Amino acid sequence: MSDSLRDTRRGDLGFQGLNHAGLANINASFSAGTHVVVGTEHDGTATLIELAAGLVQPVSGSVLLYGVAPWSHARTRRRIASLCASETPLPARNVAGALTLALKALGETRSALSVLDDAGLAHFASKRVSSLTPLEARVVALSLALSQREPVLLALHEPLSVVGIVPEAWLLRTLTERSAAGAIVLCTASRLEDATRLGGSASTLSRGSWLAPASAGPPLGSVALRVHTAEPRRLAARLSEAPDVSGVEWAGGHELIVHGGELERVAHSIVANARAEAIRITALKPDAPSLDALAAARAGLAQAYYERARGAETGAKRQS
Amino acid sequence: MNDLRNGATIARERMRGPSAPLILCLSCVALFAIGVLERQSDALSSPDDTLAGAVFGIALPLMAYLVSERVSDGTRLDRSVDCLARYGTNRRAALCGVLLVSALSSALCGVLLTVSALLGAHSTHSPTLLIDLRVSVGIGFVAGVVYALYFGAASLLGKRGGGRKWALIIDFVLGAGGSGLAAPWPRGHVRNLLGGHPVIDLSQANAWLALALIGVACATLSVMRTAE
Repeated sequence: MSDSLRDTRRGDLGFQGLNHAGLANINASFSAGTHVVVGTEHDGTATLIELAAGLVQPVSGSVLLYGVAPWSHARTRRRIASLCASETPLPARNVAGALTLALKALGETRSALSVLDDAGLAHFASKRVSSLTPLEARVVALSLALSQREPVLLALHEPLSVVGIVPEAWLLRTLTERSAAGAIVLCTASRLEDATRLGGSASTLSRGSWLAPASAGPPLGSVALRVHTAEPRRLAARLSEAPDVSGVEWAGGHELIVHGGELERVAHSIVANARAEAIRITALKPDAPSLDALAAARAGLAQAYYERARGAETGAKRQS
Repeated sequence: MNDLRNGATIARERMRGPSAPLILCLSCVALFAIGVLERQSDALSSPDDTLAGAVFGIALPLMAYLVSERVSDGTRLDRSVDCLARYGTNRRAALCGVLLVSALSSALCGVLLTVSALLGAHSTHSPTLLIDLRVSVGIGFVAGVVYALYFGAASLLGKRGGGRKWALIIDFVLGAGGSGLAAPWPRGHVRNLLGGHPVIDLSQANAWLALALIGVACATLSVMRTAE
């Protein structure tokens, strides 16, 4: 590969200890190929794309593309094609003017019309920039991003959300070509169907926390109740034989933690067994899982759905 | 050079539209009217009063502020070039392009406002009109440039360029005096050049120098505080 940026630097695209506007301690790296981050804008996907493209400076931590921070390196940014959640075209009379200025900035001599034509958007050329809807502005930005020559990174926020105005086949084909040419294609998708269609490896961003496939936990299958009683040993012995209780822990003092599959059944079982043994219960409260466990479970669920959807799609393709 | 040109292009595009020339025309008409009223009140001191009060005291700083706000798209100067930076443009060069357009526009405003006010303040056959014009137009040009650079640098304070507003207020309040507190702001030095009381007893030659220093310091600060 005759790419000097790629040849001379190590590490592909990496987020290290990244904290910025809701993103909490993100550590992740991406090599050439397609990568999909599943999550909504509320989870921080829009911010992640802006950081990857060098459009904003991280509050703490670093974003490095082949060892260089794109925020402070103009030549690196020239090799990044991006699509943000909200796009504002460059100030110009019309779309063609705005694209011409962007192409000039990129150092390209192509005409704006050729960029729009490739995406089937030639009719946008004479449209006034101020009359573009937010969706149309994103479409124009996407057409420019996908027309960029030899990008090392494509950072695209929800690229499939503009399908309908641009053909899906063209979009997916271009992304596959860029990925095959050695570019890092980093996309976000709020819908698992979209993530499946984009392909590649999937990770999850959940309320600012990064969950790589490896850290995705199983769905929360059990509930826990904390029981305060004067006779924890006797109650524990009785509950250990109850069918709705999967486990009993002594938390110390007069407290027991009782695990089970369903909250109502476990609670009913505790009360029934305590009554049968004439054991007085002074408090009974649910033991909430930690936020980390919840996030991991959510990511695990998303991952499972994603894998299942991919499996179904692959099967359908084979059959056809 | 290409990046600087691109920066100048976006600034020029942001200045496009009827509102900027309309405000400038209205200001010129208002200053002409003020000049005429001053002449009717006291013909001898009317040019000095109009220039020191209405033109360089109020109109020019306000116009330079509005121009700076407009070319920066109502945000910080460094953030105003982000739309170009994403395509690989050097922010510093693009920022210089924006500053250039801002400075030239403000200088043009300074010249036109000065000419309008003097035409109103002098009678049509006044022998001192040409001399006044020659001297004051130069001051208007330089003051416009310095104010543009000053507001550009000030916009780098605050998340959305709120420093620009504070710079306008501080220039009004502190620049009005003649002590050392007025030295870092353009107002006192412009007043000195117009024949008003000087800042820390600086001569008029030194007032030119002070204005140049403020302009260079602001431009340097703007570039230094902006990432590539």
